Amino acid sequence: MKRRDSIKTIILGSIGASLTMKSCITQEDEILLNQVWEYNYGRTSEELKWDYKVLTGKFFSNNELAAIDKIANIILPPNENGNIKDAGVVELFEIIAKDFSTPAHNEYGEKVLRRGLIVFDEICNNRFNKNLLDCSEAEIKIVFDKIAYNDNKDEDLQEAIRLFAVYRGMVLTGYFTSEIGIKELGYKGNIPNVWDGVPPEILKDYSVSYDKEWIDKCVDQSKRNEIAEWDEDGNLIT
Amino acid sequence: MEIIKSKKEYDVIVVGSGAGGGMATKILSDAGISVALVESGPYFDPANPEQQTQLKWPWESPRRGAGTNRAFGDFHMSYGDWSLDGEPYSSVEGTSFKWWRSRMLGGRTNHWGRISLRFGPRDFKSKDFDGLGENWPISYEDVKPYYDKLDKLVGVYGTKENMFNEPDGFFLPPPKPRLHELFYIKGARKSNVKVMPSRLSVLTKRINNERGICFYCGQCDRSCSVYGDFSSSSCLVIPSLKGGKVDLYVNSMVNEVMTDNNGRATGVSFINKENGRDYKIKGKIVVLAASACATARILLNSKSKAHPNGLGNSSNLVGKYLHDTTGAGRGVFIPELMNRKTYNEDGVGGMHVYSPWWLDSRKLDFPRGYHIEVGGGMSLPQYGIGWNPNEFNKFFGLRTGGYGDSLRNDVKKYYGSTVYLSGRGEAIPLKENYCEIDNDTKDKYGVPVLKFRYKWSDYELKQVKHMHDTFEEIAYNMGGIPLGTKPTKKDNYGISVPGEIIHEVGTTRMGNDPKTSVVNKYERLHDVDNVYVVDAAPFVSQADKNPTWTIMALSMRTSEYIISELKKKNV
Repeated sequence: MKRRDSIKTIILGSIGASLTMKSCITQEDEILLNQVWEYNYGRTSEELKWDYKVLTGKFFSNNELAAIDKIANIILPPNENGNIKDAGVVELFEIIAKDFSTPAHNEYGEKVLRRGLIVFDEICNNRFNKNLLDCSEAEIKIVFDKIAYNDNKDEDLQEAIRLFAVYRGMVLTGYFTSEIGIKELGYKGNIPNVWDGVPPEILKDYSVSYDKEWIDKCVDQSKRNEIAEWDEDGNLIT
Repeated sequence: MEIIKSKKEYDVIVVGSGAGGGMATKILSDAGISVALVESGPYFDPANPEQQTQLKWPWESPRRGAGTNRAFGDFHMSYGDWSLDGEPYSSVEGTSFKWWRSRMLGGRTNHWGRISLRFGPRDFKSKDFDGLGENWPISYEDVKPYYDKLDKLVGVYGTKENMFNEPDGFFLPPPKPRLHELFYIKGARKSNVKVMPSRLSVLTKRINNERGICFYCGQCDRSCSVYGDFSSSSCLVIPSLKGGKVDLYVNSMVNEVMTDNNGRATGVSFINKENGRDYKIKGKIVVLAASACATARILLNSKSKAHPNGLGNSSNLVGKYLHDTTGAGRGVFIPELMNRKTYNEDGVGGMHVYSPWWLDSRKLDFPRGYHIEVGGGMSLPQYGIGWNPNEFNKFFGLRTGGYGDSLRNDVKKYYGSTVYLSGRGEAIPLKENYCEIDNDTKDKYGVPVLKFRYKWSDYELKQVKHMHDTFEEIAYNMGGIPLGTKPTKKDNYGISVPGEIIHEVGTTRMGNDPKTSVVNKYERLHDVDNVYVVDAAPFVSQADKNPTWTIMALSMRTSEYIISELKKKNV
């Protein structure tokens, strides 16, 4: 069976009742199936069922998502390297809210992520008589200046400070696990290559060097394709 | 309930396809012996694009690799971790044990660190040195020929070091150290801690034309699609299937070894997880390799008139002497490694250098040693990166937290500046640490589950205290700042929860005396002459060495013994 068909079977099987009641797959179902199909990362059938659950349904209201978008863009404003939208940060909030829903997660979506929006709104209302979404960027920054730093010991703000740290963490982790974020970070790996030690100019930068005795025992990459053979004392001879 | 019986009688039934079971399957089937290999999880081949996670990017997972479904993250190659739906276990009150289960072809060998250390001469006879625990009934010389064959068959890189208790082998050449590893070498040497190239079963050089060579993506924990690292599935089982002597049963949970009226094994019964039906297959010999605790569970659940106490359990020792490696770790921030120029330093999937045990325990207040593993570098980002983007500002008297464009630079500034030191030590096996059948609880297949009782002794606590002292000394000597606070007696010196290091062994320990051991020196049950155990259950003690290499060397040795017994028609 082709992967697409097997995914369909697994997912339709798992939500059997609700879908088989319908005589056919609706266009909406088709879109959802496509969404799961987009993520091709070696899932077991149990995991596919979980992904389907996580990628379907709606946790945050559109207003809440708009607030998250606004917060995320102030935490990490767009620049020439990349922005929140292209990094899929708001989508990640929605997915994590549904994904961190095992008993061990202790209602993370409700008690942490949604709670954050409620608490930020409360502070905005106290200060400006309106919800965060209706505040200007300058007004929101006045609020964030109070809750974004760990050195603020104001007891009334400790919950907000904790929750803001989660929002900041989510925004940055979402950004730096995205394609543009990883490019900005400069990470160069995750591709087949041949490691032959720290580049000489880097060694120089740090005033470190390889011991000759150590390096003489290391792999000669020009001979990596020759099948290994040893003498009887275990000395490599190829 | 209908039970489906197969008429065919196999020469050998192997239960479990990990390091021990995979090796037994290979050696036995290569000798022309018919084998039924029964695995509780699905078929798995890292070369199958539908199962592959190697070279995936974090954004290819909707949760960016977070550990919701797999404890070590989405891309980690283990189906199953410390908890499995519908398959619970428990611990006696006031104690704790975490039981890792990888349910898939190749078992845990798909995700392990590939650290492949031989036990040394002392490790088989520790009691002679410190009077604790028990000696193995075999010595290093008995196992050496199998370690030698294993090195050549499977491949391991390392260097000849001529250390008494860290025997050399037939090594492939190691990779050159990474930058942070050069810092570690400097710090360790200054602290008088021995440091040398690590020994990992990763192919830095070709060993045959069937397997590829390492292409340095740093992802051995995802299982290599070109078989450049060792996994039982890719390097032992899948090749064995081509020989035509092996019938593989997947998704088949063995619950019992069947015996005849004389108490000899006749085969196994298992539940097919896909259709929920019960099956029985027959074999002249049963080889258990389900992992130390799962093997103990099968034996204890195999009760009969001849074995009212469970199979092989006349000594009452099945499940006893359970022990895991001790673990403790500390992060180290290296200010000199801030603002790094980036380049690809993925390397192999693990450390290029490490420290073997370097001290004489007679001069210390704890009996057994540990080794130090080194992690760090500019690794592939995953869920969690950037979470506390500037927490190291505190070391410079700067504010932490905030928001805005500067956070981008904070993440980049500190990326790759942390090194992780992990100690892995030998525990003293105790009869009081065990797993047993919990008759009040059944898993979703209706089979009674395990209950654990495990507590570290003072020996282990003193050992990890020493680890932490060493970590701090090395940290400062490599120009670093140890992170967090050093754990104290109050928090048990930060020792791992038993089972967390995933090296549990000892539940059917080996010995010459049937009253004080479960299997003999060929890993055969004392009580039954046609049942063998080739996972880590027969380990009398486990050194500070990761168990895989010894599991496989012993499985090879036992398999050769089984071949000779079959030839002599002793079975």
